[in-house]
Amino acid sequence: MSTHAATDAIDHHHDHTTSTGIPNKKLFMWAFLASDCMFFGTLISTHLIYRLHQTPNSPDPKKLFSIDLTLFATFVLLVSSLLVALAVNASQKGATKSVRRLLLGTIVFGLTFLSCQVFEYGNFLHEGLTLSSSMFGTTFYTLTGTHGCHVAIGVFWLTLMYIRTFKPADERPWVLRSLGHLVVFAAVAVSCIITLVSAAHAIEEHGFTAAVLAHAGQHNIVTIAIALVGLGLLNWIGRTSKAVDFGEANAIDIESLGLYWHFIDIVWIVIFTVVYLLEFL
Amino acid sequence: MSASSPALAASGHDAPQESKFHLLVQMAMVLAILTGMEVVTVYLPLPKWLIIAGLMVLLTVKFVLGIWLFMHLKWDKLFCTILFLIGLILAGGTAAALLVMFNDHDSVPLTSKDLSAVTIERTVQAA
Amino acid sequence: MEATAHAASAGTEAHAAAPKRSWLFTRPTAKTGIVSWLTTVDHKKIGMLYGISALFFFLVGGFEALLIRIQLAVPNNTFISHQTYNEMFTMHATTMIFLAVMPLSAAFFNYIMPLQIGARDVAFPRLNGFAFWVFLAGAIILNIGWFVKSGAPDAGWFGYAPLTSKAYSDQFAGDMSTDLWIMGLQILGVSSVIGSLNFIVTIINMRAPGMTMMRLPVFTWMTLFTAFLIILSFPAITIALVELMMDRSFSSNFFEAAAGGLPILWQHLFWIFGHPEVYILILPAMGIISEILPTFSRKPLFGYPIIVFSGATIGFLGFGVWSHHMFTTGMGTMATAAFSLMTMAIAVPTGVKIFNWIGTLWGGHLQMRTPMMFALGFVWMFMFGGFSGIMHSAAPADAQQQDSYFVVAHFHYVLIGGSVFGLLAGIHYWFPLIFGRKVSEFWGKLSFWLIFIGFNVTFFPMHFLGLNGMPRRTAVYDGNMGWNDANLVSTIGAFILAIGIVVYFAVMIRTYFKGEKVKIDPWDARTLEWSLPTPPPEHNYDVLPTVHARDAYWYEKTHREEIAKEHAEHAKAEASHGGIHMPSQSWFPLFAAIGLLIGAIFFVNHMFEWAIGGAAIFVLGVYFWAAEGPGGYHVHLDGDDHHDGEKH
Repeated sequence: MSTHAATDAIDHHHDHTTSTGIPNKKLFMWAFLASDCMFFGTLISTHLIYRLHQTPNSPDPKKLFSIDLTLFATFVLLVSSLLVALAVNASQKGATKSVRRLLLGTIVFGLTFLSCQVFEYGNFLHEGLTLSSSMFGTTFYTLTGTHGCHVAIGVFWLTLMYIRTFKPADERPWVLRSLGHLVVFAAVAVSCIITLVSAAHAIEEHGFTAAVLAHAGQHNIVTIAIALVGLGLLNWIGRTSKAVDFGEANAIDIESLGLYWHFIDIVWIVIFTVVYLLEFL
Repeated sequence: MSASSPALAASGHDAPQESKFHLLVQMAMVLAILTGMEVVTVYLPLPKWLIIAGLMVLLTVKFVLGIWLFMHLKWDKLFCTILFLIGLILAGGTAAALLVMFNDHDSVPLTSKDLSAVTIERTVQAA
Repeated sequence: MEATAHAASAGTEAHAAAPKRSWLFTRPTAKTGIVSWLTTVDHKKIGMLYGISALFFFLVGGFEALLIRIQLAVPNNTFISHQTYNEMFTMHATTMIFLAVMPLSAAFFNYIMPLQIGARDVAFPRLNGFAFWVFLAGAIILNIGWFVKSGAPDAGWFGYAPLTSKAYSDQFAGDMSTDLWIMGLQILGVSSVIGSLNFIVTIINMRAPGMTMMRLPVFTWMTLFTAFLIILSFPAITIALVELMMDRSFSSNFFEAAAGGLPILWQHLFWIFGHPEVYILILPAMGIISEILPTFSRKPLFGYPIIVFSGATIGFLGFGVWSHHMFTTGMGTMATAAFSLMTMAIAVPTGVKIFNWIGTLWGGHLQMRTPMMFALGFVWMFMFGGFSGIMHSAAPADAQQQDSYFVVAHFHYVLIGGSVFGLLAGIHYWFPLIFGRKVSEFWGKLSFWLIFIGFNVTFFPMHFLGLNGMPRRTAVYDGNMGWNDANLVSTIGAFILAIGIVVYFAVMIRTYFKGEKVKIDPWDARTLEWSLPTPPPEHNYDVLPTVHARDAYWYEKTHREEIAKEHAEHAKAEASHGGIHMPSQSWFPLFAAIGLLIGAIFFVNHMFEWAIGGAAIFVLGVYFWAAEGPGGYHVHLDGDDHHDGEKH
């Protein structure tokens, strides 16, 4: 806090202004993640305790779970973890365009994961599994829902970081434009998710045919339109931005974000095994 | 693995940036393979306890790879690792203790059937 | 690109040719008046905000206690209804724990710790301000009940399921007293965890040069351990409260026995938090005592490494004893025995500390000033509480003591005799530093004796009440149980204690306005905060100290020439680097906390769409907070040692 920020090359692995050499934001995030371990630990314990004390009306998870879908979602999250790690790497080299693409990729995969969750919840609700229908419903939705909220917060943070990479270097007030960018992005994301989940449900019910797709397209024409317009706007913003105020100095923020994102991925590693796979024994 | 692995193992953040890229991609592939192995393990015709042990091992390997490499702990100051392990070990220990306590037969409440059985037993003994 | 890298992203100082930023991000600069308090990022001001709030709620909690004692003064009393009594014991405990002792500890963490490590502020100054405003939001939510039909929370400070379920705790449709309790604690949890994360990063990363971990003052060590306890234990109660909230608001079945829920799980999750919580309450007081005893014994602390290590051990073992609050719940022999043994074990490091404090006093030239009186009172009274605690650790004995007044006696001895005495000692000790005035010895000691006597007269009889079978949390007792005399004595003691507290507060207020002014270092103390003017300037240290030994200030006082030379060199170095860098004030911590408050209030009323609106305000606040950037400005000290707060 007391020294001038160096104008020479930034060492991304040693911060000479701190007593330990660890950057403050990194230390903060690791301490927070230690706390989050206890958070998920108690939640997972609750789920396991209730799985070991089943009531007679308990549904059979094997019949509900689609291991294909969950496996797909797991791979999706894994790829998103890779992409954010690469984004951190790129940010430490000052490669802003790469950072943008990689952050965007992380967001897309993160949203895909969330869509898989939403799709899965939709199917379960259809089968009658709710928060109150059984203990399994209570603990399953709470645990995976809490994880999903963490992912959603992560996606939001990633989006803000993505938009941040567009901050112009010309010092004009940018905050309103950034909010506009955010709104467009959110509109695109939500529209895409609604469209895809709806289409997925249709395909699941009626099969993968051109007719089904056409019908789904018709049914979701509004969201598709919003998504297309939004995508066009985003593309235009991406292409017309000039010199930006984003570089190696911001790498620490991407790194903190990356740590958070990796953590929710490794929590999912535990949830996938303990909540899903163990039921198949 | 690729020919650049020994170099990768020794280098860390001093490594040329490309090899970091390769390391990360290779790690992701390893994690994917381990995930596939987990799913296969579930369906193997082995005793239940062995499968659970196997799953726990695979889970742990994935977890450690995630924090050591993706989350960069290998190259960061040791204190970051210690900090995280404090939380992880405490969480694991608490979860284990809770599971042990809730599985203890002594902790399961008596049902009214059990209670009346106990009462009958005591009445018979007293008589 | 690097040449144009600017303040918002890179965290460097704002340029001389100031960028045209939106008016939204003009940083407030008021140094006096209400805006300076609402937008402060200064750890000292934030400490004072916590302190004033805590002392206010301490009086509120004390008032609630007096109502309890009046009701119990005589058998079959009708002073307050049973419903009101339930609200009293619930709110007395919740207020004292979360709104009085914890924030008073936070006041000291905030004010004193950065000074003790030779820093100019904490690692994340705006986050520090945010933590306070969120605390205030939580305090408001907990106390709204008094002003609405639902009434205040009334299910006990530990909110056992299934009493807190809708079926048992809602006395009419729309009764939200328990929802207020849940939400209040969640918000307070957010505040505590965020504050603690900040303190951990500060202590680990922002120590002055030469301040190794084993040269830290013990109070700073205890701050660190308390912060770890908070970040690791609060998640458990967060989950428990989330589960309870889901049961009450979204019809889940976590604690609904009819659907297969296990109410005992609530107890486990709550006490996994609840036990470390009591160490959160006592460790700061132990830290304060570890500063006061050496100062007034004119000796260094005896066994410094052992005291530090014991503190860490207590913190760690504290996570392994939670079910000693559940000995009578039928956990089974193994579990009961294991927790019984662990509870006995945790007495060891605590005892070690007591021996080290005695070792500090031993052979010292004792100065019986007021802080010392409270500190000695702490050592003795905390031991009493420890003894009754050991008695509890034997599960068979606890079978009789559980839920009786013996427990009430135990925890008031450790909480008042321990925590409160320690904190009251700290106020006396650091008052001259913070306000530049010294409290009168006569009045200070008078308040001590009134408090000491009143406290013992109130709580000592409760040991016997408990052993004679009087249960907790009952509004009336019958006249033929043999409890009448002890209860009456206890109530009289409570009023003596109240008078003592009134005198204490009156003394503080009078001293603030009219007390004897003091110069620097009035106690001839040992730690760095005393090297500062009283009160300290906003930037704390003109020149950041270099630490050569434990008890860094004592070294400075005994090596004046060496330190003066060093000081001059470092002053030149800092001036050549652009002067003293200070963090800018900001509206957004307050803004974001208000969003959280609004969201929480709507949520409690089950108006979920409006609650999302509150959350949106919170998110917007955080967005602007990020967008305004760290800011910062420089202060230059001119030759006369006045600061020319010149902003670039």
